[in-house]
Formats: sequence, structure tokens, C-alpha cells
Amino acid sequence: MAPSRPRGAAGPHRVSTNHRLRILYAAVILIMGIIVLRLFYLQIIRHDHYRQAALSDQLKQYTIAADRGIIYAHQGDNVVPLVLNQKLYTLYADPTLVNNPNASAAKLAAITNGDEGRYSQLLKTRPSRYQVLAKRLSENQKSKILALGLPGVGLQAQDYRVYPQGALAANLLGFVDDSGNGQYGIEQQFNNQLAGKQGMLKAITDVNGVPLAASRDNIQKNPVAGNNFVLTIDTAMEQQVQDILQAQLKKVGSKQGCVVVMDPNTGSIKAMASYPTYDPSKYYQVSDISAFNDLAVSDPIEVGSIMKTLTISTGLDKGVITTNSAYPDPGYVNIDGATIKNVLPIPENPVTIKDVMRDSLNTGAIHVFKLLGGGQYDQQGRDILHDYLVNHFQLGKPTGVEQPGEGAGGIPNPDQGSALNLQYANTSFGQGMTATMLQMASAVSSVVNGGTYYQPHLVEKETGTNGSSDSFDTKIVKRNVVKPSTAAGLRDLMEYVYDSNYAIYSSQLHPGYNVGGKTGTAQVAINGGYSKTDFNATFVGFVGGDKPQYVVAVMVKDPYTFESEGAQAAAPIFGKITNMLINDFNVLPTSH
Amino acid sequence: MARRSPLNTAGPRYSDGAVRRHKPDHWLLVLSGLLMGFGLIVLYSISPGLSASQHVSQSYFVSKQLIDVALGIAAFAAAASMPLGFWPKSAKSLAVVALLCSALVMVMPVDQMYQAHRWIRLGGFSFQVAELIKLALLVGVAQFLAEQYRRDKIADFQSTLKPLIILLLVVAAIVAKLQSDLGSAGVIIAMMFLMAYVAGIPLKKVMMVGGIALVVAVLAISTSAYRRDRLATFLHPEKDCLTTGYQACQALISVGSGGVMGLGLGYSVQAYGYLPEAGNDSIFAIIAEKFGFIGTVIVIVVYGAIITRLKRIAEHTAGMFQKLIVAGVLAWLAVQMTINIGAMVGLLPLKGITLPLISQGGTSLIFLTAALGIVFQISRYTSYSLVEPAIDANETPTTNYSFDGRGLRRPRNAPLVTRPRA
Repeated sequence: MAPSRPRGAAGPHRVSTNHRLRILYAAVILIMGIIVLRLFYLQIIRHDHYRQAALSDQLKQYTIAADRGIIYAHQGDNVVPLVLNQKLYTLYADPTLVNNPNASAAKLAAITNGDEGRYSQLLKTRPSRYQVLAKRLSENQKSKILALGLPGVGLQAQDYRVYPQGALAANLLGFVDDSGNGQYGIEQQFNNQLAGKQGMLKAITDVNGVPLAASRDNIQKNPVAGNNFVLTIDTAMEQQVQDILQAQLKKVGSKQGCVVVMDPNTGSIKAMASYPTYDPSKYYQVSDISAFNDLAVSDPIEVGSIMKTLTISTGLDKGVITTNSAYPDPGYVNIDGATIKNVLPIPENPVTIKDVMRDSLNTGAIHVFKLLGGGQYDQQGRDILHDYLVNHFQLGKPTGVEQPGEGAGGIPNPDQGSALNLQYANTSFGQGMTATMLQMASAVSSVVNGGTYYQPHLVEKETGTNGSSDSFDTKIVKRNVVKPSTAAGLRDLMEYVYDSNYAIYSSQLHPGYNVGGKTGTAQVAINGGYSKTDFNATFVGFVGGDKPQYVVAVMVKDPYTFESEGAQAAAPIFGKITNMLINDFNVLPTSH
Repeated sequence: MARRSPLNTAGPRYSDGAVRRHKPDHWLLVLSGLLMGFGLIVLYSISPGLSASQHVSQSYFVSKQLIDVALGIAAFAAAASMPLGFWPKSAKSLAVVALLCSALVMVMPVDQMYQAHRWIRLGGFSFQVAELIKLALLVGVAQFLAEQYRRDKIADFQSTLKPLIILLLVVAAIVAKLQSDLGSAGVIIAMMFLMAYVAGIPLKKVMMVGGIALVVAVLAISTSAYRRDRLATFLHPEKDCLTTGYQACQALISVGSGGVMGLGLGYSVQAYGYLPEAGNDSIFAIIAEKFGFIGTVIVIVVYGAIITRLKRIAEHTAGMFQKLIVAGVLAWLAVQMTINIGAMVGLLPLKGITLPLISQGGTSLIFLTAALGIVFQISRYTSYSLVEPAIDANETPTTNYSFDGRGLRRPRNAPLVTRPRA
């Protein structure tokens, strides 16, 4: 240190410059020390905190979409796809990067056939960074847009379902929404299996979310494609059934209807049509979502007189009647203070069971119910009928078919409630109870096939991407539903009904084949009573040779025609389907 | 030689007497070169991220910085080859050029990014006027203070302090107000302030200048919305990480996530668009992320080494002008480094100034290397034979001493002790 002037001494002001220089230097070194301490605090003590903060910004998780499973169906002996996947493109923009919204909008709208005004509006919505302009653009449109080289405009690939068979079987297939979730039908029922497992990429990314290659923390899990499904449906049959249904509904002025065609010997559903329907590739244009329903599965109704097939089967099986039984019938029945009549007059007394089936006599069905009770309307009769309907014919509970939102229907409780005998008298001819057409088709199948209740099903096979395949074996729900003699009896009765009434059904005889059926006309319950004007028409029947090969259930809701709706509204559908089955679908004629 | 005026002295004058022209301080060259080379490496490694976010080719930043470094070396070489007498003489012309540029920059179109008149852009070349002002003031203030010192007017309010205060206000008005560059204004004012301090202006008066600087700073901050925001951000960090505090937060994240060893040269993530100005004002945070605590400490140690060399040269240089130039460069470097790093580690509010010698940014680099070039030349004329070769308090200007070192024979009262070289 240089000698410096003593404090207070007189003279010109002079201080040691080097002294001050050293103070300055010391201050700088001190500040550096503070910075180093601070760095120690930030980089070592608080390292974990900031590392987490960094990762929460930088580490992004991406899902890698798995290919959705394909749904196949039969076409004769071949298996053809009903639903495939296709890459389509979503057009989006980052408005902060778009420099000429109006011109860009015009160019884009010309390619996408979009609304130019809306586009330019979207392109101007700053400070938004993401605006979707159009969805479902084709590969061709995509390349045209890319060729424009517009700043701030991008395209994103997304998988969409395509339907090589058009709107075929839409109601049982369902659709896949924009978020990739199956809705309704098979798509919803097997959404998890069809969707597969999404892959995952956990990666350090740049600020725009682009993964950086040079990162040691990236984790990638490849997606697993969804399983493929083969349905029991025959596409050709499905198409014709759909056409027949729609034509007839139009003819009789009905807005809703459905048909089930199943193989009674396996429970396989060969065709299942529902109306109203929709185009699954344009599901988003559907305004009334009831069009998505599969009525044969989701809509339990009071089935009407087709129920008599099951009541009479019960009587035959319990031995209280035979196909030739006869009884005196006054044409009306009084139970619990109510009078039940028939639509058609009593032909001649004594009335036979064949007459009951042919002319659909409610009093005849009630007669069987009475016989089940040992000659009176009582608990025993109710219990037996309930036991058969629920435990043998599996009514009142979902069948377990591979469709979401299946209706269970309902059979009255035999033990509880008021006017139980009246309720069961009504149930014996299909009122005061509900069932879906699929339940009816399955129940009738279980009788006419000789007494085995097969689980109705739509899926034949599920194939995993690893090659594993899962056949959906025919599943027997109940054996010995009825005795073989009952089965034969009911077949005879139904054949008799068809042979007597085919003309009313606008149908024809099919020599060499066995065709049987039963109409139904159900009053529609409204406001606690029955509507005077609205009826539902139903039909259940079978087609085959030595044994029934197809069971068909038909429902037509609220047609214009009056009374006898079953015959006039629903039966022609059965008639046409019968022709179609015999002509095109290998029904084996009888051997004798 | 009869003439004594230091203003027209030429090189050979220094060779007589005790202070011979000798080898310059090569450490200065080595350490500055280290920082510039390091800056290039860091910039090269983050080029993919920078170029992706700014839509230029990957080689854009490195080739631009290579040119800047080359220009910086040229500026260093040019400044180092000038005879010492050149600088006092050119103080006035430098000031005139700086003023002209300040006027010119006002008629240039406003910069899109900063909404301020800071750059003169000609073709692909851009030039930040504040950096020229820094160099002009370094020379000008050193010359003025040395002259006042020589005239023993250093403590005089009227002749020394008043002009300084006026100068300070003018600089504040031009740089902070017109160019809207409070960071550079702060560096310049701090540099002037510290030069005045080293020159020996009485502490009370130094404090007064400091007080005025403080008032100016408060005014500057309180009259500008974005400066208020930056201050508020600084006072409440991590509160508003997504908007005004974004850069501060991202800088802390970069620094903190580096840890002890850092993520490695090629593994910086923050440079990929997260941290704004990653190659420029925020490069220290990127260094911290890449090289960790060890890296940041090494960088600071290198700065410390340069500053130590500067202090040593200043201590041992012969004249007041040289001493003040070196002290000024020391202050320039130290203040700029402190403000930049301080902001990156959350100790100071963010200011748009570069990390000396490392940051991308040509003007700042070229003028600082020029200043270091001057120091390099000065370092040829240090004397280590005496404890304090410079001006002694008892020595009056009437002796045959002049601040250019001409009279630097052994002072009468200097002890005859030599100190080992530090």
C-alpha cells in the first residue's frame, strides 16, 4: 500500500488510485463469490426442483394410435370386410403464423369445398394457436394444400372408418366418433378389443412439442393393433332384409321396424335390420339419434299374438293340450272383472288349438293358461307360465347378444301385484309383458329346433394381431327347453297357420319346404291404458326342410292399417324373406 | 524532448526511462480467446434449436458468430497496435462519431422486435450504437479525468463533477430514453461511476453521482410499463412464469436443471425454443444447463482471471489515463457480466445485455475486444519494479511527472522495495 495522506491534512485532494482500484476489485470478486454461491444453491441444492420443472415443460407424452380392428362379415362362403380404416386429414391453422388470411382462406376453400368466409374468420382468430378448418380431407386434397405452401397451415392425419358395404348393417355395427371411441353396436360393445392398445412416446421435446432425437429420456412403447372380428351376418342377406323391411315400412306408413333372421340350430344371427337407419360414415349428420338404435335388441315391446307360440308350447310341453285338443269357447273370457274378446269371430265350437293359432284367438291362449292352472286361473298356472317364459324361453332378461343397450323386457311377477290372473291371461297372448324381437326369435328357435336354447350371437370369431384367434363357439344356454314332441307340435301348428294364411301374408306356398309362422298385433300402451289407434305388428316364423333352418322375427311399429296388423303389415316381410331364403340361401328341402 | 503534453506523445516516448516497452500481458489474450472460443462451441451446439425456432439454416448462427469473432480479433489487433497517445487524441472524434450515430439511429426504422431505435442496419450488417458510445465514453472520460487529475481539479465540483453529471444525464437521455436501452445505459453509467471512483473523486461526491444515477434509474423504470413489469417479475419470480416472467423462469429452470455436471454439450433442451435469446442474452443459462455447476464456476473463474489481470495491469501502469482506461474496461466487463449473470440466476432483473465475449452479438463483442486491445497495448508499459509506480499523493503536478508515465522515474518518496510478481 502506498503511503497516503493523513486524514485531515491540508493540501490538494489526492487519494491513492490503487487503493480504490483494489476496493473495486474486491467488490467485483465479492459479487462473483455471491454469484457462485447462488449457482451452488440453484444448481446443487435446488437441482431436483428445477429438473422437475424442466421435465414438466419438456417431457411430453404422446399416444401413438393403434390401428383399429377390422370387422368382417360373410358373403356366401367368403369373408368380406364391413368396416375398414382410412387415413384422412384434418386441416388446421396457427392464426399467429398466417400472414394473409383472406387469400389463404380463398385458396383453401377452393380445395376443400369449404366456406371461405368461415375460413378467413378462423384464420384471423388471434391469439389462438390452433383452429380446425376442415376434417376428413382426402390424400389428394392434402397434397394440393401442401403444394400451396401456406404459412401457418398444417394437416394432421387421423384414422377414420370406411364402409365398403355402404350403410349396410349400420344399426348393429355402430360407428366410431371423432375421438376414436366406438358408439353403439359392435363398435361400442367391443370398443376395447377393436381399439387395441395405444402406443406411447414419452419424449423430451422442443417448445413446439417436436421430440428431440438427442434425448436420453425418451421412452417408446409401440401400439398394439386392435383385434379383428368376423360377424355371423351374411352381407347379401342383410342387404335384402334391409331392403325388404324398408320397402314394407314405406308401404304401410310405419316409421320404425326391425327384422331378425337367425339360425335356430346355432343361435347365429344371419341378418338383423333396423329402421330408421343411417350412414355410419356420416353419423355426424344424423339429427335424430334414435336412428342409431338396433331396435331388435334395444326395444322391448308388448309382442302381441306371436306370444301364443310360447303359451301353446308350454301347454303342449306340460301335456295339458295336444295339437288336436278342442274345447268349447264362448268367444270371450271374464277374469278379474274384465272381459277379453277376440278380433276374429269364433269359427265353430268346439274350437281346436289349430283354430286358436290360425285365427289368433286370445280366448284360446287364456284357455291354455287356465288348463295350466288345473282348470282355473290360479297361482299354479301363473307359476308354470312364468317358469316357462323366464326359465325356459329366457324372456325377461337380456340374451347377452353382443350389442350394447340390450333391453331385458319383462314378464309379470306371478306372485305380486293386483289382478294377477288378468295379467297372466294378457301375457298368454302377448299383452302386459314385453320382449325384444331378438328374444322372441331366440325363444321360438329354442322350441322349433327341438328344445335347445342357443345364445343368440353376432360374432363368430375374434382374431388378435399376434395371430391368436378366438372362435365364439355356439353357446347353449338351456337344454330341454321343451320336449321334442312339443317342438314337433309347435312346428306343425305354425306350418298350419302359414299354409292357411299365406295369401293374407301376400306370400306363397313353398312345396318341399316347411314354412311356419304366427302373426301378432299388439296394442300399444299409453298413459296407463291402451291406445285405440296405435298397434304394433309382429311376426315370428321359420323356414326349413326337415328341420327349421332360419327363424325370422319381424316388428313393424304403428302402421297406418287397422286391426289384424300382424297379417297385413309384418307378415309380408316374412313372406318376402322366406322367398329370398329359399331362393338364395340354401334352404334344404324336406327329404320326403 | 521539450513537449510534455501527453496528448501528442508517441510510442517511443515510453521506451525511455524506467518503463520500457515490454512483453504485453498475454494472459489477456489467452483468457479472452478462451471465452470467445467457448461461446462459439456453445453456439454451435445449440444451433439446431436456434435455427429451428427462427427458420434459418443451421450454420447461420455459427458462421455469423465466426465473422463477428474474426472482426473482434481484428478490432483487438487494431486497437492493440495503436500507440497509446492515439487514444487521448481521438477521444473527441470518437465522441463526435458516437453522437452522429446516435442521431442516425433515430432516423432508422424502429426495430421490430424491441420497438426501439437501437440498431443501425445496413444490408446484413447491424450495429448497436450503445456499444460505440461505451467505447467513446471509456476513452473520453478517462481522458477528461486524467486531465482534471493532472490539473489537480479532481475534487472540484465545478470543473470535474458538474461536467460528469451533465455527461451522465446526456448518456441516460440518449441511451436509456431515446434508444430505450436501460441495460446498456446502466453499464455505461456504472463504468463512468467506477472510473470516477478510481480517479479519486472524493467519496461524498462519488456518492452524489451515484445518487443521481439511482434517481435516473428509478425514473427510467417507473416511466416504462415493460420495465415495471420486468421489475415486478424480478421481485416475484415464478409467479407469472407463462407471461411476463417467462424468460426469468426459463432461465432459472435452465440453470437449476444443469446440476453439478450438466446435461452435456449436446443435450441442452432449453435452447429448443423454451428459453428466449438462448444464444444471446441468455447464453449463460444454457452454459449452466449444459455444463452444470462445474461449468459455470469455470466460466466465472475465467472472468475472474481476466479481471485480476486487468486489476494487475491497472495497478502497475504508469499514467492516470492508462489506469483509468484499464479500470474502465474492468468495470465494463465486470458490470456487464454481473448484470447478465445476475439476471440469469435471479439475483437481478432481466436486462437485454450480452454476456461479454461469449454471447452471440457482433457489436458488443467488437467494441469490447477493441477496449481489451487498448489494455493489451497498455500492458506493454507496466512496471512491476515498484509497489506503486503511479501517482503519489504528495507528488504535485508541478513536478516533472506526467500521467503518461514520462516522469516515472522512481518517485522521491517511493520505498525501495520491490514486490515479487503476483
